[in-house]
Amino acid sequence: MKVNEVPQDDVPDYTEGWLKKGNYALDDKGKYVMVPSKGWVVDEMINRMAYDEYKVKEEETRKAVLAGQKSPLAYYMELRQMTPEILGKTAGIAAFRVKRHLRPEIFAKLKPHVLDSYAKALDITRKELKTVPPNNNPT
Amino acid sequence: MTTETLANGKTYIHRTSAHCETGVTSALFRDKGLDISEPMVFGIGSGIFFGHLPFIKQTGLPISTFRSIPGLVFKKAAKRLGVTVFRKRFRSPQKGMDELRRVIRTGQIAAVTTNVYWLSFFPRRYRFNFSGHNFIVLYENENGFRISDPALLEYTTDCSTHDMERARFARGPMEPRGLMYYPISVNPNPDIRKACITGMTDSCNQMLKIPIPLFGVKGMRYVAQKVIKWPEKLGYVEACRQLAHILRLQEEMGTGGAGFRYIFAAFLQEAGELFGSTELNDLSNEMTAIGDIWREFAVVSSRIIKHRKTKSEETFEKAGGLMLICAGREEELFKNLRDVVGKLKS
Repeated sequence: MKVNEVPQDDVPDYTEGWLKKGNYALDDKGKYVMVPSKGWVVDEMINRMAYDEYKVKEEETRKAVLAGQKSPLAYYMELRQMTPEILGKTAGIAAFRVKRHLRPEIFAKLKPHVLDSYAKALDITRKELKTVPPNNNPT
Repeated sequence: MTTETLANGKTYIHRTSAHCETGVTSALFRDKGLDISEPMVFGIGSGIFFGHLPFIKQTGLPISTFRSIPGLVFKKAAKRLGVTVFRKRFRSPQKGMDELRRVIRTGQIAAVTTNVYWLSFFPRRYRFNFSGHNFIVLYENENGFRISDPALLEYTTDCSTHDMERARFARGPMEPRGLMYYPISVNPNPDIRKACITGMTDSCNQMLKIPIPLFGVKGMRYVAQKVIKWPEKLGYVEACRQLAHILRLQEEMGTGGAGFRYIFAAFLQEAGELFGSTELNDLSNEMTAIGDIWREFAVVSSRIIKHRKTKSEETFEKAGGLMLICAGREEELFKNLRDVVGKLKS
């Protein structure tokens, strides 16, 4: 890659934020130099895809919670990009129990101290854990 | 480029780097007075690698990595340059945070490994549950900690205590467990030539000699063949999703595919000057060419993914084929490198 081939696609997070990625590229004399990049459309697209995938899953779960098919715990787990295994480890609760707690009828009977460990693991309050946002959160 | 004054009055210079771990390592060594470039650290620490890890899943998909395990480059580079290091993981978050505070109060900068999801100073879209990002903690301030992230940020920034604790002690695949590291003392005149030779030999072995078909050049071939078969096996849309995942690991998550090939090429160039060897320089040019093919692979794959609904003119055969070309040329390159290294004198 030559210096002038380093992608400079003005991705907003790079130009407005202060993200910066360095690339090594060859200058006119064939020597490697460090060239900061302003983002690359390929990068940007892949990132957007992955992020959208999370968002879609999150939104589906939110609707399922409102429809009474899943417990709010499922929504917050998706929001934090966790799986029952990761959440279980973070909260100190066995993964099979976490999976049970994703069912609304079982979640409703949970004791406060269990809810507290989940709330702490998910970085929200116990009150927030009981419900999900009524509207889609676009960010 | 920004500068910061540390707790003991020393000046720290923030420089952009191409990769988090090598950038951090180079900055840590420079802080101790050993001026060594990022590509040098990458080469000496044998950062170049390929591995397909079907047993570690991320969002339910296997990881293909283009570099060695996070933390290993620092460890290897330090050992080969005669640097004594402090490197510790913690069971208790409290102890881990206390130790970090104690160290930076003395003016010693320390690197930490973190989970990107919990770092709120990044734009929201870049925060994924990935444990393996490294940055340097400079000093404590009213907002928490002042940090320098050479790989992703242009300036130094603040990170709250809460973020820091969550990010360092996140659970899940590849848990950082509060990993914290810094050099205690460096050898001011290390035998760089010897370190380079060790690093290059080790890189060759990593790429050619691991007798498991998931690693090195063999791993590349394995993944390439899988890519070619995906559309039949998984259906077109799912195949695109999997390809996007590889691409994401290649280009975005600091596991760099093409980018790493360029860093390695930069290393070979620098080593070529050091040894006065034109052969190393030729290999550097070859590595650059391979990096360009990896980039082409990324572009072709991105076209496939972009037109996944209409089916584009680019095919999975072409993407997989490019990967096979990379595998073939890298195999050739590392074999040649092995021969060249054998002739070098430290």
